[in-house]
Amino acid sequence: MGKALVLKAEVREHTGSKHAVKVREDGRIPAIVYGHKQESVAISLDAHNFVEGLHHGHRLMDVQIGRKKEKTLVKDLQYDYLGKDIIHVDLMRVDVTETVKVTVPIDLRGTAKGTHESGIIEEHADRLEIECKVADIPETIVLWVKDIGVGDALHAGDVELPEGVKLASSPATLVVTCHLVAAAKTAEQVEEEMPVAPEVIGEGEKAEGEESTEGKE
Amino acid sequence: MAMMPKRVKHRKSQRGTMKGNASRCNYVAFGEYGLQALEGSWVSAKNIEAGRVAATHFLHREGKVYIRIFPHKPVSSKPLETRMGKGKGEPDFWVARVRPGQVCFEIGGVVEDVAKQALLRVAHKMPIRCRFVKRRHSL
Repeated sequence: MGKALVLKAEVREHTGSKHAVKVREDGRIPAIVYGHKQESVAISLDAHNFVEGLHHGHRLMDVQIGRKKEKTLVKDLQYDYLGKDIIHVDLMRVDVTETVKVTVPIDLRGTAKGTHESGIIEEHADRLEIECKVADIPETIVLWVKDIGVGDALHAGDVELPEGVKLASSPATLVVTCHLVAAAKTAEQVEEEMPVAPEVIGEGEKAEGEESTEGKE
Repeated sequence: MAMMPKRVKHRKSQRGTMKGNASRCNYVAFGEYGLQALEGSWVSAKNIEAGRVAATHFLHREGKVYIRIFPHKPVSSKPLETRMGKGKGEPDFWVARVRPGQVCFEIGGVVEDVAKQALLRVAHKMPIRCRFVKRRHSL
């Protein structure tokens, strides 16, 4: 984790979706600061500065609220329905010496042995939950996949973590597998598999019932 | 015959409405790259099958194609030259209800350029505007 980014925040006096829309129209992002058993504060951040900071890998941010400066960690982000724009940010108060649980993205490196045997790498988990000191949070967890052959799998327990970082998610979590690609189905095969018309639930039983009543009569 | 459910509770359904945007299935979850709908529409089973064929044909057995939509909804129609009335028509084809933001197709196991070209071919088969999206690894 790099140096903390300093962001100037404005306190939001009015909360609620109507006011949040107005905040976004002004080029700002609504956010909330909470943690350390203090009262939560609704703020807004400059959208451009915040997004730029995120793109540069900053997760630790110094938020200046009035004259007070608070060290915070980006805990959660909410996106719009297209996943393009950030619509809300959760910031958690932290101390640099504090141990926190965070999710960190996995960065796959290298070309897997299996890909030369016409296999493909499938990423089942793209982030891991780790526990470490705030100052030691890594930007990414690097995972080398060059030794993975066809049929091999890597679990969370196999991932080498940097010093001072502990795994918080289950070690059995499947991260990466390498497997052969099944031949794509042709249009004819798909046609054969698909029913001509779907079975209607309960219609078969009804027909049987009618037959049995007719027999009794 | 393209995709359709194996079992259904009712043979015919009413048209229904499609309000709002996709609140789920609006991010790339399985592959690395995806095709996201920018409009809401019914996407027929024929469209989905055409997209699948276009992608698999372009990929030449490389990578994996994931289809994130399924045609659950039957659409009925009346035969030609039939007078109005006499009840609802027979089921004609099946459609998937797609709302803006829904990720319809995903591709994994190939480089970005190849995925982009494959998904562009899929986009041409869709009756709606779509955009290319990548998996979001960080928060």
